[in-house]
Amino acid sequence: MAERRKFKKRFCKYCEQKVDFIDYKDLASLKFSLSERFKIMPRRLTGNCKRHQELVTVAIKRARQTALIPYIVDRKNVVENPFENVR
Amino acid sequence: MTCYETLFVVKPTLTDEETATQIAKIKEIVANNGGELLATNDMGMRKLAYQVEKNNRGYYTVLFYKAEGTLIQELERNLKINEDVIKFLTIKYVKQKELAQFNKLVEAANEKAEPVVETAPVAEETTPVAESTEA
Repeated sequence: MAERRKFKKRFCKYCEQKVDFIDYKDLASLKFSLSERFKIMPRRLTGNCKRHQELVTVAIKRARQTALIPYIVDRKNVVENPFENVR
Repeated sequence: MTCYETLFVVKPTLTDEETATQIAKIKEIVANNGGELLATNDMGMRKLAYQVEKNNRGYYTVLFYKAEGTLIQELERNLKINEDVIKFLTIKYVKQKELAQFNKLVEAANEKAEPVVETAPVAEETTPVAESTEA
């Protein structure tokens, strides 16, 4: 069965680093789980484990509330440089 | 006593002095209601990710403190009334892992501040612990 696996086995990045808590102000660590348009990346793509995905989700939603990360990026209200703060 | 963290954003249109007085005001509310300020993290003027009340920038400040739950109501009531504060968020740290991280954040915030400021909150931190053990 193992031979049939199409994709590379993914590991939870946060488990490897033994992260217990994700700070919503630390945008560099959140960026890993965000898409280009600041959507939360699904677990099947990032390989995060369920526990860490839940932590990440809460952190991202908090960051959105405090205007650190945009809710959406679209053509109507263009953010000049959305990654300025994140990088 | 529970550990809390409050982030608030002050309007960018104010002068430096006015911003400082606003921040001092909010710290005063924490102090007057039996809260114990552990650290302050001044994130400074930042670009907002989206417009808030037609502002594109904001002055971010984070307060770390220990307080009773009743303080939060009072603090948030004041933040809502205050027209110079455009965003705020309070977070509670309860679990052991969260508390460990909270202490780390407090230390990091204190290190960032001046060394003179650093000694004062540490002294405050030790005294109430002693009080609580006696009681």
